[in-house]
Amino acid sequence: MAHLRLEHVGLDFHVRTHGRISLKEYILKGMFRTRSSTSTVVRALDDISLDFGEGDRVGIIGHNGAGKSTLLKVLAGIYEPTHGQRAVEGKIASLFDITLGFEPEASGWENIAFRSYFQGETPRTLKSKMEAIAEFSELGDFLNMPVRYYSAGMCVRLAFSIATAIETEILIVDEVLSAGDLAFQHKARKRIEELLARARVVVLVSHDLGSVAALCERVIWMDHGHIRLQGPPAQVIAAYQAMATAGERLAA
Amino acid sequence: MQRQIASDYLAEIWRLRYFWMSLVRVDLRSKYRRSILGIGWSLMHPIFMTIVFCSVFATLFGLDIRTYAPFLLVGLAFWNYVSGVAHQGCQCFIVGEPYIRQQSAPIAIYPLRTTLACGFHFLIALVVAILLSFVLGGVHHLPALVYLVPALVLIFLFGWCLALLCGVLNVLFQDTQHVIEILLQVLFYLTPIMYPADMLAKRRIGWVAACNPLAGLVEMLRKPILEGAAPSAASVAMVLALVTVGLLVCAWTLARMQRRLVFYL
Repeated sequence: MAHLRLEHVGLDFHVRTHGRISLKEYILKGMFRTRSSTSTVVRALDDISLDFGEGDRVGIIGHNGAGKSTLLKVLAGIYEPTHGQRAVEGKIASLFDITLGFEPEASGWENIAFRSYFQGETPRTLKSKMEAIAEFSELGDFLNMPVRYYSAGMCVRLAFSIATAIETEILIVDEVLSAGDLAFQHKARKRIEELLARARVVVLVSHDLGSVAALCERVIWMDHGHIRLQGPPAQVIAAYQAMATAGERLAA
Repeated sequence: MQRQIASDYLAEIWRLRYFWMSLVRVDLRSKYRRSILGIGWSLMHPIFMTIVFCSVFATLFGLDIRTYAPFLLVGLAFWNYVSGVAHQGCQCFIVGEPYIRQQSAPIAIYPLRTTLACGFHFLIALVVAILLSFVLGGVHHLPALVYLVPALVLIFLFGWCLALLCGVLNVLFQDTQHVIEILLQVLFYLTPIMYPADMLAKRRIGWVAACNPLAGLVEMLRKPILEGAAPSAASVAMVLALVTVGLLVCAWTLARMQRRLVFYL
């Protein structure tokens, strides 16, 4: 059974307005017991309770900075909630910022290996997947070159091909529906659909409301770190769009 | 309960072994990718330092080059490892940031990557030092080299702890790397790397080495290689104390920082 649950989860970020604290500052602060004025607390998520079970396909929408990606990172276990509880059953795989984290000096082949190992593959399980990943990326001989020489589009192709080759129970996806050029996007879209069909729980964030409506059975609308509305895609997306256009009309 | 958490944590590190091992391989390869000498460069530094120090100190203090050269080479190999682990350890989480942001994994694998890459260079330099001592002094110290096995394990654990602590401190306070640079410089002269420890004893400042666990670590390397003897109980005890404290501090740090590090990056 794959299961993912958040109970009254909150997350506070301590944002330092002047970058990292220096040792001098830290010692002085300790010595004089003064409060550091350079740090402010931002509540990124507030009292979120969610329950995802077997077969759930959930989309998260909302404007920029509403807490969508933060919520995904809490779900994936990258951010520990500062309040509340998170409970997981099943293997989680996440696709975030997929172009990040290539070793630039290593070849495409080697990068396929690291990424897959990081996702828990072993040399034995990887062997069979390597060819499939390479073929899907359509990068051919470029895979022998260091990734440093790749264009941004090639990186996206490679990253997407690796990331979507994983077998998982819970899949958490952040904005990867628009990967690469037009021809690749079509392929990628199909791949994502296959992946969604295989995973038992899927949570995805997208600004592409059409895709969300097509891929999900339940939609959550995030607003300022709260859940504004959740329910069937048609209803929630309509409410979100009404809100967005109302804002425009108000501005005009 | 805590033992369970610790063993789960180690099991998770082991599960991801192919990941960090392949990163170490890339680190080693990319360092020498476009250089003619390749891996030879990691030997050049200690060898040239040895030549320089030998010509200066052997004449200055009247030391015999045949014993001083391997002595120095072992010391410098060790010191390059310590300073490499500390310096690169400061950057380990910053270099690993994309991975840390991507997926939750034991953060101890990033300092492990640093330590293994530095450890590889250290081993090459150490082999050269051992060969040199055989060439200059004969092979009758060969059986004593078994004492190197526990020494290398302790040096590895010490390096892992050092890299982890430097890395965490550097994420919290960016001035750590500068502080470390100064500390290393001071420690280099306080540790019997260039000079024999008994030189301090003769000047009645033997406590400088006796209180320095790094001196114990060097001795654990030098005794078997240079004298064909087991290291003294005092230095082994000191090193064991150092590594135990290091591991405890790291466990405490990991318990606090495993989940929180990502917020400081």
